[in-house]
Amino acid sequence: MKAIFKIALGIIAAVGGFLDIGDLVFNTQAGALFRYDLIWAVVCGVIGIAVYAEMSGRVAAVSGRPVFDVIRMRLGFGPGLIALVASTLVNVLTIAAELGGLAIILTLLFDAAFSMFVVVAVLALIVIVALLPFGGLERLFGYGGLLLLVMVATAIDQQPDWGAVAQGLIPSLDSSPLYLYFVVGTFAAALMPYEVHFYSSGAIEERWTEENLKENRLNAIIGYALGGVLAVSLVIVSGYLFHPLGVEPNDLGTVALPSQVAFGETGLLLALGGMLCCVGGAAIDSSFAASYNLAQFLGWEWGRYRGPKKAPRFTVSWLAFLAVAVMIVESGINPVEITEYSVVFSVVALPLTYFPILLIAGDRSFMGEHANGRIASLLGWVYFGVIIVLALASIPLLLITNGGGG
Amino acid sequence: MRIAARTAVLSAVVALLAGLLGGCGDLSRGELSRGVESLSALAAQGGLVAKGVAEDGTKATYARVMAKTLGGEAEHEAEKLADAEPEAAVEAQRGEAVAVARELAELFAELQTYPGDERHGATVQKHMARAKAQADAIAEGLTGEEQ
Repeated sequence: MKAIFKIALGIIAAVGGFLDIGDLVFNTQAGALFRYDLIWAVVCGVIGIAVYAEMSGRVAAVSGRPVFDVIRMRLGFGPGLIALVASTLVNVLTIAAELGGLAIILTLLFDAAFSMFVVVAVLALIVIVALLPFGGLERLFGYGGLLLLVMVATAIDQQPDWGAVAQGLIPSLDSSPLYLYFVVGTFAAALMPYEVHFYSSGAIEERWTEENLKENRLNAIIGYALGGVLAVSLVIVSGYLFHPLGVEPNDLGTVALPSQVAFGETGLLLALGGMLCCVGGAAIDSSFAASYNLAQFLGWEWGRYRGPKKAPRFTVSWLAFLAVAVMIVESGINPVEITEYSVVFSVVALPLTYFPILLIAGDRSFMGEHANGRIASLLGWVYFGVIIVLALASIPLLLITNGGGG
Repeated sequence: MRIAARTAVLSAVVALLAGLLGGCGDLSRGELSRGVESLSALAAQGGLVAKGVAEDGTKATYARVMAKTLGGEAEHEAEKLADAEPEAAVEAQRGEAVAVARELAELFAELQTYPGDERHGATVQKHMARAKAQADAIAEGLTGEEQ
């Protein structure tokens, strides 16, 4: 009973921690521009992250090796270094985007200077990380993120044409560059590389073994599937409210507007609170992921459970990544723009992250009986093919559409 | 002789280009139409924020910050449209669009000043709806499509 309860708590945390600023921005814009037409892309992205998170968690639980260890082992030093540089650049942009997002949400709640809130946000994160154990961090932000269930309630309250919503699950034949750009964006927002870096390193932090494989599978499949419901609800509420009015959601505050329209101030506060927890959790995940990757590649001691004294270089690098991200946000670049660039550039780094996971998870000599089965293998290779196509298309689409500006 | 002919041809080309460019302007019908659509979108979003204020269904800080951000966008759009040199055929619509953008900026300023006042919220909501209708009418005139 206790084990089931623990697994259920893990799933709940995975649901609440599923969304980050990339999902909030891209899914809301996708709904405003294309109504329900891009729901299929969100769903495809959610299945993709579930498939690869399950693989990376399984590899970590069976072998005790997190993703970047595997990347260096499989690709060797040179290509591994390229993967490290690419992932680090994307991770730093992502941390900056999440910190900027946090500052925007705090500004909407308390109306003071944005730059002050950037500093407040980063200091608050450092204090929270210093005070809470690893599991506590996951639960705090994961449970808090559940406030965004108000988006699901908003979607139900709006009473949209559910037939049209269901039709959004079928890919439409629109081939305009803007549509394709948002296909890449919504798909990539769900598959950000930091998520599997953090997930697999988190498995080591929580000392998973083969006994945790069931928990891993349930977290990845049920947790991410329910998290996907939140992601789809963002598209629905935006498609219902913003699309007919021609609203262009270029500001993070607009994401919370449908909940205000549906449930007044309570809805607004729930939405802003949920966004705060999701984006705060993602800021910690992405900053940890950047430090995990660096430490694992260079063979340093790493891990929140070791503490700053036993893993000093890991801790210093984490603080350094936060400091660089603060400088980027304080330079005056719009956090929503940083988000769009971090999501699109992450697509280029995706193959370097996912290919080694796919190889090692399918290697029977390494994984034994826990190697990929037929379904995991098929899904993994199909998704890898899709990732390659998206990686090739992402930068041209970014340029052609002027960053989604049309 | 050949140099004189070449100079004459070059001068004619330059004169022709100058004439063409002078008549064209740097703001085409399509660009103006996109600018006006942005104004319509801003008015719609402003209307939703104002509705929250009017119904006491929002948080004052949220309404103030949103009004400030959206007002800045309306101001920017007004400046962009006012600075551009329109094609002769759309000069009148450009003027109307600038007027709508300025009105929107003023409405957002009002919302920013009174984010907790329901009466002001209701007035701004009504004016936002009117500004949106004006923007849609301009866009319809430019594209020939009903907005």
